[in-house]
Amino acid sequence: MSSRLLIGRPSDAELGQQLLGTTWRPGGPGWRFAFLITGGLTLLLISLITYTIGTGIGVWGNMIPVAWAFGIINFVFWIGIGHAGTFISAILYLFEQGWRTSINRLAEAMTLFAVLQAVLFPVLHLGRPWFAYWLFPYPSQMEVWPQVKSALPWDAAAVTTYFTVSLLFWYLGLIPDLASLRDHAPTRRRRFIYGLFALGWNGKATTWRHYRAGYLLLAGLATPLVLSVHSVVSSDFAIGLTPGWHSTIFPPYFVAGAIFSGFAMVLTLIIPVRAVFKLHNVITEKHLENCAKLTLVTGLIVAYGYILEWFLAWYSGEPAELYQAWVARPTGPGLVMFYLSMICNVLVPQLFWWKTARTKVWLLWPLSLLINVGMWSERFMIIVQSLEREYLPSMWRGYLPTWVDLGILLGTFGFFTFLFLLFLRFVPIISLAEMRDMKHEIVHGEARHG
Amino acid sequence: MADRMLAEFEDEDAIIAAIRRLRIQGFDRLEVYMPFPSHEVEEAIVEATSGHRSRLPLAIFLFGIGGAGTAYFLQWLLVGLLYPLDVGGRPPHFPLAFVIITFEMGVLAASFCAFFGTLILGRLVRLTDDVQGTPGFESVTRDGFWLEVSARGALDSPERTRQALTDAGARRVEIPGVPS
Repeated sequence: MSSRLLIGRPSDAELGQQLLGTTWRPGGPGWRFAFLITGGLTLLLISLITYTIGTGIGVWGNMIPVAWAFGIINFVFWIGIGHAGTFISAILYLFEQGWRTSINRLAEAMTLFAVLQAVLFPVLHLGRPWFAYWLFPYPSQMEVWPQVKSALPWDAAAVTTYFTVSLLFWYLGLIPDLASLRDHAPTRRRRFIYGLFALGWNGKATTWRHYRAGYLLLAGLATPLVLSVHSVVSSDFAIGLTPGWHSTIFPPYFVAGAIFSGFAMVLTLIIPVRAVFKLHNVITEKHLENCAKLTLVTGLIVAYGYILEWFLAWYSGEPAELYQAWVARPTGPGLVMFYLSMICNVLVPQLFWWKTARTKVWLLWPLSLLINVGMWSERFMIIVQSLEREYLPSMWRGYLPTWVDLGILLGTFGFFTFLFLLFLRFVPIISLAEMRDMKHEIVHGEARHG
Repeated sequence: MADRMLAEFEDEDAIIAAIRRLRIQGFDRLEVYMPFPSHEVEEAIVEATSGHRSRLPLAIFLFGIGGAGTAYFLQWLLVGLLYPLDVGGRPPHFPLAFVIITFEMGVLAASFCAFFGTLILGRLVRLTDDVQGTPGFESVTRDGFWLEVSARGALDSPERTRQALTDAGARRVEIPGVPS
């Protein structure tokens, strides 16, 4: 295990003071300003959702043939963001990657909040969201059951499972730290509230034994979800006949894209958090560099997906597919989105071959933002551009979003950041119990090797 | 008359040495409380008390299989039997289309079992417990390693036990709930 994961050798008490302290040190004016802005955007989101439900889905820019537009783009985008969190917390845990320790809590919180944004969209997109419960097999007097051969109930099952498992995993990881807060937070009220959530944790060895087994298996169970959730989402497209969708490359291509965008979002969040809370000793350059490397790897898989799409379109010999891949996307009405996604998803990550781009935050942070933009554009390209140019040329239309679409997109970014700000204030950002474990392993390792 | 005694130790190595020493002296009902899951301490205590591995994984497996089986059965019942709809000429009982929900529900059931199983087997979900009021015990979530010696392990003579713990290197010895 590398000593570059932890700078200095703080004592257990110092580490606790640093990592738990983020929950009781008052937030500065910067935090309050951000909280107000994102709170305002959350209100905007709530008002626009109310407006959409009250008036009808016609206030969105959706039309025929582009019946799936911002709603589904945002859904795919936000679900994708969540994937890196689960990748870090589950897959890297199974592979015993020590560097996940100091960023897993933050990445998991990101997953939860991103999935929360994502679930809004399929529900709103139903048009009559008050019937969303029809997706679940409740004992219905009408004796009309959900049609499980359609993709919508698959999404419902995949996304609710994903959210639930992520929440359980996150909370289980939190329990020892909540107990630390119960014992060491400064005021009685805080101790009482954290004590309720700590469920009486006392660090007994027997409890740790079951806890470790449970945590490890929950990580094992979350692992196939990283691969399955976006595969299911991609099936929504791949089982349709629309040119540009009907392709077997979709599941791996979507999963790679999801992890790619998720790592970009982890970097976008972690860099300011590290600077504001002065966590440079526990979130080191090594962590940023590893995230950047994984962004590069998954970015290359995404680029391979693009190349294969063009190849398969040509190889199929199908005129509609050929037209979609080679003419409609680069020259059609949404061409800006096509070029944005090519630049941001294929060219930008290539800069990560260069060490400075992986480790210097003034460069890494803007690059991570560009990748976020690129991945949103990619979903626009896949969804909107495919629907704009289907088989019948007489049906071809160009799509434009309405102000409600744009407002809801902005609102979800606000709501996401709002939840994230609350997380930063009330929960330890870094898992203290795991950091102590890792620190002891590092110290022991150093002692053994002199 | 106290039925157990708690002693705080400096670090992992101190408590491991103490566990081995006390075991030789005939104290066999030992329990450790620690701030992070130290493998070495865990091994020492399992060795000393012949504790067993967690059986949670088996329960999780059974729940996962049960959840997946139930989901498959439910899908067959709903769209294969009760409400068969012809969608694109697919047969009413169409295993391929049932795979996703079967898998997801299996994972969901197994995860619920992992989470609640950990809480139940770890005796969590309670507001507090009898060791928590012990003076100084809050160090267990900071840097203290606590060793508990209970009844059958020769507490008939508390003074002897206290002496044994002190000799084993404890930096403080407490009786749960009673300030020393």
